[in-house]
Amino acid sequence: MNKSKSGASIYLAVIFVILYAPIFYLVYYSFNSGGSMHGYEGFTLQYYGEVFQDARLLIIVLNTVIIALLSSAISTVLGVLGALAIRRVRSRRARNSLLSMNNVLIVSPDVIIGASFLILFTMAGIKLGFTSVLLSHIAFSVPIVVLMVLPKLQEMSPSLLDAARDLGANGWQVLTRVVVPFIKPGIFAGFFMALTYSLDDFAVTFFVTGNGFSTLSVEIYSRARQGISLSINALSTLIFLFTVLVVLGYYWLNRRSSKRLGMGVPK
Amino acid sequence: MSTEQTIIQFEQVTKRYDDGETVLKSVSFEIERGKFYTLLGPSGCGKTTILRLIAGFLEPSEGEIRFDGKVINRVPANERLVNTVFQDYALFPHLNVFENVAFGLRIKKLKQAAVEAKVLEALRFVNLKGYEKREITELSGGQRQRVAIARAIVNEPEVLLLDEPLSALDLKLRTEMQYELRELQRRLGITFIFVTHDQEEALAMSDEIFVMKEGTIQQSGTPTDIYDEPINRFVADFIGESNIVPGSMAEDYRVQFAGKTFECVDGGLRPNEPVEIVIRPEDLEITTPERGKLQVKVDTQLFRGVHYEIVGYDEAGNEWMVHSTKKVEVGERIGLDFDPEAIHVMRFGETEEEFDKRLLAYEEIGHDQ
Amino acid sequence: MTSRSRNVYLVPYLLWMALFIVVPIALILYDSFFDVEGQFTFGNYGKFLTPIYLRMTASSIWYALLITVFSLLVAYPAAYALTKMKHKQLWLLLLILPSWVNLLLKVYAFLGIFGTYGFVNGVLETLGIGRHQILFTDFSFVFVSVYIFIPFMILPIYNALEDLNPSLVFAARDLGASAWTTFRRVVFPLTLDGVKAGCQAVFIPALSLFMITRLVAGNRVITLGTAIEQHFLVTQDWGMGAAIAVFLILAMVVIMIVTGKRQKGGAR
Repeated sequence: MNKSKSGASIYLAVIFVILYAPIFYLVYYSFNSGGSMHGYEGFTLQYYGEVFQDARLLIIVLNTVIIALLSSAISTVLGVLGALAIRRVRSRRARNSLLSMNNVLIVSPDVIIGASFLILFTMAGIKLGFTSVLLSHIAFSVPIVVLMVLPKLQEMSPSLLDAARDLGANGWQVLTRVVVPFIKPGIFAGFFMALTYSLDDFAVTFFVTGNGFSTLSVEIYSRARQGISLSINALSTLIFLFTVLVVLGYYWLNRRSSKRLGMGVPK
Repeated sequence: MSTEQTIIQFEQVTKRYDDGETVLKSVSFEIERGKFYTLLGPSGCGKTTILRLIAGFLEPSEGEIRFDGKVINRVPANERLVNTVFQDYALFPHLNVFENVAFGLRIKKLKQAAVEAKVLEALRFVNLKGYEKREITELSGGQRQRVAIARAIVNEPEVLLLDEPLSALDLKLRTEMQYELRELQRRLGITFIFVTHDQEEALAMSDEIFVMKEGTIQQSGTPTDIYDEPINRFVADFIGESNIVPGSMAEDYRVQFAGKTFECVDGGLRPNEPVEIVIRPEDLEITTPERGKLQVKVDTQLFRGVHYEIVGYDEAGNEWMVHSTKKVEVGERIGLDFDPEAIHVMRFGETEEEFDKRLLAYEEIGHDQ
Repeated sequence: MTSRSRNVYLVPYLLWMALFIVVPIALILYDSFFDVEGQFTFGNYGKFLTPIYLRMTASSIWYALLITVFSLLVAYPAAYALTKMKHKQLWLLLLILPSWVNLLLKVYAFLGIFGTYGFVNGVLETLGIGRHQILFTDFSFVFVSVYIFIPFMILPIYNALEDLNPSLVFAARDLGASAWTTFRRVVFPLTLDGVKAGCQAVFIPALSLFMITRLVAGNRVITLGTAIEQHFLVTQDWGMGAAIAVFLILAMVVIMIVTGKRQKGGAR
């Protein structure tokens, strides 16, 4: 029993090291004054300086963040509406087909989404750039939000809605005072997932972006294709730190809100 | 028909679902102000459907529902003067006790001071003073129950609907809550309509019981009426324990069963009409075979705490259940004694109206004699 | 429920569905019947059936299979070990966290690790094996892909293992099954849905991810994804790219049907 347990720990530890090694490898060499990802010569912050002086890069970061925030906000609204719609559909078959349609964009390979959106935007005469990227990000984030919100909606007993109406609430009041507060964790999770999907996306953006507009992923790709440059390492370190912060922040917020449900005070 | 006292009236109300299933079949009844009503029946009998029709969560397919004389078939739930206590309480998990109770008042946009006063008053009424700041998750089942009641009564409804509110509680708490609900209804003086499948609850609390089966009301009346004079086998079986045996009416006040003729108090039937006889187990008294009106052989005996439950068979093969404080031996032959009043005669297929008419008719004859 | 108020929420949602699911798929299908000059043709499909494309398709499927199998071999024991740990949730979070780091950055890291003077070659040299060309080989492509996909394989398997009623394992042991038999006859069959979900989550992207091939497998077109990207963004032959995309969609549908069936039955 004990032996198998320590065996399990060792195996997990190995996986753990393998998963993190490349990331820390990047971070480690971002401080290498030698200028390459081998042969550590000395400590330097030179590449971080480069990152912060690179106006083009900073604009791209800004673009990425704006696209992420806007697309996840809009897709959260659409996704919540979608989840409410699915929940309202009474026929089981219609609901199931809606759900499978919903999942098409989740299981579809990025290249297909990218290529088909490229055709769509070209046909519709939408200039490739900010608008096309934003629309694509909204499009592929909606089903994720739906999937995060729907379980919460299903968890909600129908008698809660009856109770609200019984106490005099009209349709809008039922939605804003009962449904939305109840599914808030799902909405929150959906927004967060949409945010990470948007920040992470490379393939779709790569297809639908035009000259002059780029996101961080696309920029990293085009730089990486030209070979190793330690400013990418510095950038990755910053992104990694940011990711960790966002994930931890998300968990903290989640913990706090679930705690509040336990023993909080009213507003 | 309807009087000053009538608050809710159902007139030939039918409820059919989209899939064609009819859950309520042309039901008519009246509910009076200030009384405690119970809709009693097995699951799927339509009792909850009636509640939901009154609350406004369902619309009738046919017929009319009137509230204070006005037809309310299409009035949405949020505009009706009734409130509901739900089976699963349906308390809002994101709000604390105070805000749950205040929900309806806030919808009505009452001033904060008024909200506070009313909420505290309602919580005091259900013995939950000091629980305002608690979260729902911190409450026990019984406390949640009280919050649900407070949340409903704080809106001062004219009718309170209770949908099996005690079913999630344990036995002891359930009995306690029966007293409390009855007491609450007296203090508030409003109409309670209580749905349950538990006949003990119904008998203990109600002014009036509607016994339901398959979308129809089988019998309505006070608990004693229904217990003493069940109209058919279903009601007799559903309310309390019963011995139901086949028999026939020799003439008025003389009934035959188990191969013998007995004196009874029923009349107004055709001579030799086949009937069913009901005798409650507690109305049978154990005596010696010689002195008993019936002789049975004891088959089983269970100790139930307050009494023994004895089951035996007479010579005709009828099963008899007896509740007695006396102990007998399995296999022993015993005699059963009972009063003429203990015998209740049921006609086959007689409706409640026909029963009432017959009762009225032969009671008059009885007085004349 | 009372007044059958129409489902107004459905409007924006269906609009989104039509605009970004139905229309794009229709457009892909439509485009696959046109050549570079905009003439209607079946030629793209004809070209797809030539040995060059069939070989590429076969190799793409082969790589995807390899990647899926290796990911499974690494991930199943990891997921199993995870369920035995004390702080499961923390370990799970730690194992999933890397999947939140931008994929390109992780791939980029391997440019350094597998480089001619990189970490791995350094180790090989100290071991006396000598430097090798690792980057731009099939090995680096498969290794990096497996590395990327491991968390996606661990998660569904872990969930399936967690859902498994532990008393089933005790029951099997009680009935005389050895630890291995218990695993083979009880645990594995009952977690098959998780395995299928994991394979689905790995196999389809493995067919189509083009940036991994572009970055660590050199400029060779060895997967369907790379081929689509090539046609759309390099040679501008959208019709041919769309035809390959149609094939990829069909392959995806097949995989969904194969791996999806049991999932429904197994759902609680």
